[in-house]
Amino acid sequence: MTIKVGDTLPSVTLKHCPYDPALEHACGLPQNLDISSFRGKKVIIFGVPGAFTPTCNNQHVPEFYAKYNEFKARGIDEIICLSTTDAFVMDAWGKWTHTNDKIIFAADGNAEFVHATGLVLDLTVAGMGANRSQRFALVADDLVVKYIGVETNGSIVTVSGADAVLAAL
Amino acid sequence: MAQIQVGDTLPSVSLKYCPYDPELKDACGIPQTLKTDSFKGKKVVIFGVPGAFTPTCNNSHLPEYHQKYQDLVNKGVDQVVCISTADAFVMDAWGKWTNVGDKVIMAADGNGDFVKATGLVQDLTKAGMGAIRSKRFAMVVEDMKVIYIGVETQPGVSVSGAGAVLAKI
Repeated sequence: MTIKVGDTLPSVTLKHCPYDPALEHACGLPQNLDISSFRGKKVIIFGVPGAFTPTCNNQHVPEFYAKYNEFKARGIDEIICLSTTDAFVMDAWGKWTHTNDKIIFAADGNAEFVHATGLVLDLTVAGMGANRSQRFALVADDLVVKYIGVETNGSIVTVSGADAVLAAL
Repeated sequence: MAQIQVGDTLPSVSLKYCPYDPELKDACGIPQTLKTDSFKGKKVVIFGVPGAFTPTCNNSHLPEYHQKYQDLVNKGVDQVVCISTADAFVMDAWGKWTNVGDKVIMAADGNGDFVKATGLVQDLTKAGMGAIRSKRFAMVVEDMKVIYIGVETQPGVSVSGAGAVLAKI
């Protein structure tokens, strides 16, 4: 069952490496990021099938980064990019795209979030394992989903993109 | 599956990788298939890491192989292959991040087929890194026969390092 508008976000613990401009190399020790910490906040969570993959890297992430101030102006507290890779890879990707000062790169390394929200994607045929995230974006206000857009074609960015989310706010 | 040993034949598995292209600075376009069968008739070093961009893998294990590449070639090694259960996009980015160029083939065992077939899988769910990761190991295969294998039993790089492999071949 895919999560929908009106549902509450599942209580899951993600991992991330907090942004540290002094730290140029591999992240030292990933920290927990509990979904429950989004209580009382307005957050965007957008999911990508894979870090460093063309669409995710060249379009999906940059669009959210470029529109960061517009999101802030509409009351968004945090923008979180999520995938089922680990925090080390997510941290490196945030550095690679030079967007980790504004976007939180969160790791759903055991695929708990995507399973709990019905957003899991099997990419075994692509050699990428069975527990990937679909390409999606959701807005949660005090943990309640206000918008969700899930791409039916994972290679393109439409309902999961920054423009679609802005229009929905 | 029992762990592969000296004298065993390397299983026939398809990995993925992004062929080295000095022109391509950004995300890899389309991963290619790399079959272990292509190691027939060759002397190949395969070393496995639990995770790309993780401290030990990034700061010790991979760089040592990069530095000792010529020493390995001088001892008859045809290819040096780094393997993890990440996908080809992540492996490619990691190779670029660490500047290995064309010296180390960054191979992706994205569905965990290789590590399962060789008994080298480890479960890192507790660390938020999923159930299908590689142990830290190094093996030398000559015409598909394993002639050396070193699997770490604790953190750090010893029997799986470039130094240990060089001493054995």
